Amino acid sequence: MKGFANMLKNISRNKWFLLMVLPATIWFLLFSYLPMVGTIIAFKSYRYSRDGFWASLFHSDWVGFKNFKFLFATQDAYIITRNTLLYNLAFIILGLICSVAMAVVLSEIVNKKLAKVYQTGMFLPHFLSWVIIGYFAFAFLSEDKGVLNQILTGVGLHPISWYSDKTYWPVILIVMNVWKELGYTSVMYLAAIVGIDRSYYEAAMIDGASKWQQFKSITLPSIQPLIITLTLLNVGRIFYSDFGLFFQLPRDSGALYAVTNTIDTYVYRGLTATGEIGMSTAAGLYQSLVGFILVMAANLIVRKIDKDSALF
Amino acid sequence: MWKKKLATMVSLVTVFSVVLAGCGGSKDEGSSASGSDKKEKPYQLVWYQIGDPQKDTDKVVEKINEYTKEKINATVDLKMIGFGDYSKKMQVITASGEPYDIAFTSSWANDYLQNVAKGAFVAIDDLLDSKGQGIVKALDPKFIEGAKVDGKIYGIPTNKEVATQRVFRFNKQLVEKDGLDISNVNSLESLEPILKTFKEKEGYAPLWGDKNTSPYLAYDFITEKLPMAVPFNSTDYKVVNFLDQPDTMKTFETLHKYYKAGYLPADIATSTNSDYQKNGKWLVDMADSQPYADLTWSRSMGYDVESKPAGDAIATNTSVLGSMMAISSTSENPEKAMEFLNLLNTDPYLRNLVDMGIEGTHYKKNADGTVTDLPASKDYDMPSFALGNEFILNLYDNDPKDKWEQFKKFNTDANSSPLLGFHFDPSKVQTEMAALKNVSDEYMPALMTGTVDPKDYIAKADQKFKAAGLDTVMAEVQKQVDEWRAAQKK
Repeated sequence: MKGFANMLKNISRNKWFLLMVLPATIWFLLFSYLPMVGTIIAFKSYRYSRDGFWASLFHSDWVGFKNFKFLFATQDAYIITRNTLLYNLAFIILGLICSVAMAVVLSEIVNKKLAKVYQTGMFLPHFLSWVIIGYFAFAFLSEDKGVLNQILTGVGLHPISWYSDKTYWPVILIVMNVWKELGYTSVMYLAAIVGIDRSYYEAAMIDGASKWQQFKSITLPSIQPLIITLTLLNVGRIFYSDFGLFFQLPRDSGALYAVTNTIDTYVYRGLTATGEIGMSTAAGLYQSLVGFILVMAANLIVRKIDKDSALF
Repeated sequence: MWKKKLATMVSLVTVFSVVLAGCGGSKDEGSSASGSDKKEKPYQLVWYQIGDPQKDTDKVVEKINEYTKEKINATVDLKMIGFGDYSKKMQVITASGEPYDIAFTSSWANDYLQNVAKGAFVAIDDLLDSKGQGIVKALDPKFIEGAKVDGKIYGIPTNKEVATQRVFRFNKQLVEKDGLDISNVNSLESLEPILKTFKEKEGYAPLWGDKNTSPYLAYDFITEKLPMAVPFNSTDYKVVNFLDQPDTMKTFETLHKYYKAGYLPADIATSTNSDYQKNGKWLVDMADSQPYADLTWSRSMGYDVESKPAGDAIATNTSVLGSMMAISSTSENPEKAMEFLNLLNTDPYLRNLVDMGIEGTHYKKNADGTVTDLPASKDYDMPSFALGNEFILNLYDNDPKDKWEQFKKFNTDANSSPLLGFHFDPSKVQTEMAALKNVSDEYMPALMTGTVDPKDYIAKADQKFKAAGLDTVMAEVQKQVDEWRAAQKK
């Protein structure tokens, strides 16, 4: 009873803060926690019942882990896991380096108006959908009318069948993804850099520190918590792939599957054939579970090294 | 503390589910109440239909309701969903168990077989007997046979062309310009001299298509683009891997020869647009035909098109399931739904109203019984083939007078595929099917468009298909075919 009274007291003391998080809490309950009940579908052979979703859920047969089997059943399982993991690793590492570098450069531009123009320009691709970017890329890569092939033939080289030659695609995919997300992530780092007390830099300059030394000893340590947080969040999504990037950009070209097929595109293709939502739920659950374990593990490691930087 | 948190969570979840269950419950009560006193109150049918929403739908539905209220004491709530969204939205609607009565279904949108397998539609054999005799009389028996799943029928096929025929479609302007003779075209091989002359004269590829293009193969595919099929002329009903058959190999080799000679666009295996029809820079492509299709094509492209058959007209499961209406298993009143569908398929007034809109507003009737569109018809432009019996539709002033007679003749003359009425139930091999689809998407476009040399590519594809479990699936298909045959006594 005492505990309950304490809780009430606690609530009334923090009521304004609690009120502020209320909308987000409701959102999470409705859209993240409530649908978790649906993960049961992953272990069922889902069949419709005339009495609605809940009845369908309860009346469908249990099938154990059968829905998960298709993710591991074939020789493609290795390819899709490898592609998903390696691309995401490349995105995380390259994305981090590029956006931090870009944030530093933007913060160093003296003309603040120009800096804003660059920033906005780089931000723009983030809002474009992959479908549209896919068409932009097609304008460059099209076999007979593409800009790149026109240039190649113009200088006397053989045109390349971009959409059927898989050698170039790892590079194309990584460059395009970094290009698209660079503006968005660098703004976050830029905000952190702008927040650093200028007097550190002044002191460093008086001591004769070079730009690189300033970056290494002042900027990097100051934005380190942000870097760790954002990277941890990305690690949690390492088993997810950006469907638009891997499906729209290569125009779903079969010849490129060896380097473009990821867990999400594989699941999509498989399920357009079977329409079995149990299997797609299973795939989603598997991705979330692995992501969850990875975040916990990464956070544990971070906490071992530096307790204050850890997420929780 | 932990336990307390858990308790809070559990109670919250419980509260939510009670609230949700409450919502669902009250809705059910409401509709069943309206069902019980239906004698006084007309029953409202919720009808999901493929097609872009139209500006004047409400006006027309008002007219429809006036008529149906009087005839069968029911009204309809017509909900149109655009072509691109229909399958996805219907999947959500069915999965959530939302009550509705009638929905468009087919082999290509809101998949009929998947829905039947999952129990989304009611079997309507008895209803057809009691309330749908008009439909049975109007339909070619091939339709009924093809729509049956395990001996039961779950949807009403639209009465239209029952078969498909693969044709080569020629751009007549260019045929005349280059003085080409297309009278002898009857196969892929016979195209060669025409393609050669055209390429020499015009300098660009004559034979067009996109990544979904496929040449005519005389097989009935169990599942689209998976290498399991039964030849059209099969008598032993043996399911074969069509990639390994000599006639297929010959077709693929011819295509590859054409591709190497530059008769096909270089990027055909990855291309997804059919812009060539707009700019008119194409000589020939491949399409599925129906009677007077040349007229329709010429009308929609804006220039003359002429076609030559590439194969026989044949009724397959896919062609028969091209457009259907099904009654949902969530329907409160399937009898009323069937009464309405029966009326829609037999009553020319209702059928034309749903299709063309209101006479005097959207179209006008001419002295000879044909109709002409009025300017307002653009506010009510419906997909005619998806709405029901086409043979009771008014003819447009420029339609051939014997249009529907020709359709009927086409239907009676068409051969049936040996597998007409057999539907593969993949539920035991879902894992393999998902893997096979991935392999198919990887290898088929390149093969079907002649982009690759079939000799080594087919071997590679075969190996990949086998690794993905083709043999298991094929054995399952054969088992089901044999069982089906035994049941049909074929």
